[in-house]
Amino acid sequence: MLIELKKVAPFPLPSKVIRESEIWDANVSFPAKSASLLSAQSGMGKSTLLHMIYGMRKDFSGKLLIDGQDTRGIPYQNWEDIRRSSISMVFQDLRLFPHLSARENIFLIPTQNGAVPPMEEMADRLGMNAFLDQKVFTLSHGQRQRIAIIRALSKPFQLLLLDEPFSHLDEVNQAEASILIQEITERNDASLILSSLGAVPPLNFDHQYSL
Amino acid sequence: MVVSPKKRLQRCLQVAGPRKEITIASLGCLIGTTLLLLAVQLYQDANHYLEQNEGPKNYFTMNKKVEGGALVNLGKKDESFSPEELQAIQALEGVKRIGGFTRNQFPVTVYIWPTGKVGLGSAAKADLFFESIPDDFLDFIPGDWHWEENATLVPIMVPKFYLDLWNFGLAPSRVEYPSLSTEAATGMPIEIFIGRERTTTLDGRFVAFSKRINSVLVPESFLAWANKKFAEPAKEDFFFLWKDSVIDGPPRSRNQLLEMVEEPAFSSWKISPLGDPAKKVPASSLVGPGKKKAQPSRIILEIVDTPSTALLQFIEENHYELNREFPEQDFIKKSMSGLFLGIAAVGGLLSILSIATFASSFRLLVSKASVHSRNLLLLGYSEKEITSVFFFRFLRLFAWNLSLSILLGIFCKYVIMNEVKEFGIVLNPWLYTNSLLLLALYSFCFLAVNRLVIKNAVRELTA
Repeated sequence: MLIELKKVAPFPLPSKVIRESEIWDANVSFPAKSASLLSAQSGMGKSTLLHMIYGMRKDFSGKLLIDGQDTRGIPYQNWEDIRRSSISMVFQDLRLFPHLSARENIFLIPTQNGAVPPMEEMADRLGMNAFLDQKVFTLSHGQRQRIAIIRALSKPFQLLLLDEPFSHLDEVNQAEASILIQEITERNDASLILSSLGAVPPLNFDHQYSL
Repeated sequence: MVVSPKKRLQRCLQVAGPRKEITIASLGCLIGTTLLLLAVQLYQDANHYLEQNEGPKNYFTMNKKVEGGALVNLGKKDESFSPEELQAIQALEGVKRIGGFTRNQFPVTVYIWPTGKVGLGSAAKADLFFESIPDDFLDFIPGDWHWEENATLVPIMVPKFYLDLWNFGLAPSRVEYPSLSTEAATGMPIEIFIGRERTTTLDGRFVAFSKRINSVLVPESFLAWANKKFAEPAKEDFFFLWKDSVIDGPPRSRNQLLEMVEEPAFSSWKISPLGDPAKKVPASSLVGPGKKKAQPSRIILEIVDTPSTALLQFIEENHYELNREFPEQDFIKKSMSGLFLGIAAVGGLLSILSIATFASSFRLLVSKASVHSRNLLLLGYSEKEITSVFFFRFLRLFAWNLSLSILLGIFCKYVIMNEVKEFGIVLNPWLYTNSLLLLALYSFCFLAVNRLVIKNAVRELTA
């Protein structure tokens, strides 16, 4: 899935931030099957960009193209299909359902990705097997992040968006999660865009951008 | 345990709704739906019953207005229609045909033996009258509806509601009178006594019950024969005799006066009708053309549809009276329509209020679950899938309400059915297909409105 930014600039961002950015108000593309890192401090628009690609925000100037199609022209019903089968995302605020168990959260996806290991195996690799039947509100933020990663990987995707997915993970867990993400992304012939506050996660990135 | 994706979605969006509002809406929906169902069902029941028991709409009887008290009317003037008047009525717009009622000119007393045998048990005794009309004005001609001289039995036709009056009025109040089915009533022997002294006795029998003619009818041939044989002078055949400007003695009949023709002073005497003593004419005017042919004082009209303006105006101008045969059915129908419309209006209002309450409650429910709904939409669930979760919840609630309404409706109908059974009205115990179709349409509207409200509430989350 090819993502192209043509002079995109979010309305709420100050012009100074836009001027100093490698992404904003520039022509940038995220090619298919590539891994890209967006690193910046808080407030530079990392989440904004990922939300724009995911179709959650339209408050920007310029053009954002997905496989050559202007996102402004994509009707809502098509976004439903895109989110269901083409783009998967780990949100910064995770968007889990705290009243459901970890297992229920992972299963609560509209369509299952056939090219992933069994859910229990992924949970085991991320050290979450013992917590699968616990309600999410009882889990720590780091544990919730791992559940959100497993859920995002369980959906079919051609593009994986990860918004500061490791902010509450230790190095060991970051490494395990990175290996799993890399493995499944490759297995799906997908690309990924990951945002980070500055630290570079242990993933093989093709491109690194500073916002 | 494997949980279906739909169930998982429902569990995820399971938030407590506004209980009080939903309870009130459910109650309103239950009562409103039941009232609507009952109104539609009972309206059909009542119409069905009336149609089965209704007389035709386009038959009317007409007579001249009777005014004044009994004493005045003892010496009343002639109330019959003249041939010219009949001609004028026949010529009116909308009048298809007219027929005259012929009445008996002799006293009649009948003994009706409800036990089926003369002399057994108690007889219902009554002074009665007979009328006849041309056969083609009858709603149907019964098989036994013929009479010829020396026939042993006089066929009699009475209105159907006479039998109802017997069954629901007379029989319950008198232990010696049984209730009668139509078949039993037609089997009752009737003794017909003719004349003041009951000098002649004939046998009679009810052969049919009319839904059109409000009278006690006998065949024309019988009445013509009986009038000829037993007729007593009519009131119009009595006159005051004036001799030297003074009334002489009691009123005399035409025949009595004609016997006095030979008296020398006859040509100087005058006579005046019983109802109008001042209208004196020479007594000799009685001699000459014979007695005029008796004219009907009541006529039956078949009209095209409802009475025309010309007919109503003619009636008004000539002080006639027009009576719809069995007009009480109109009144009953109007009252019923009003009653059922009232019930339907209350039911409809409650239903509309419950729709509104449900709508606001479910908007609130969607709004309470908005965070989860939005997250599900971001996971790729469609607007339709999220809407269906809330709609299914509403559907379950509505299905309960609807089922209870139908059960309550059937129960109420059962109670009403038993109540009206005492009046001889037999109702179908089940709901009519029309009622169920209307209920289906009502449910569709109810569901469609609420689905739209839920859908719009979910759509607002995608904005």
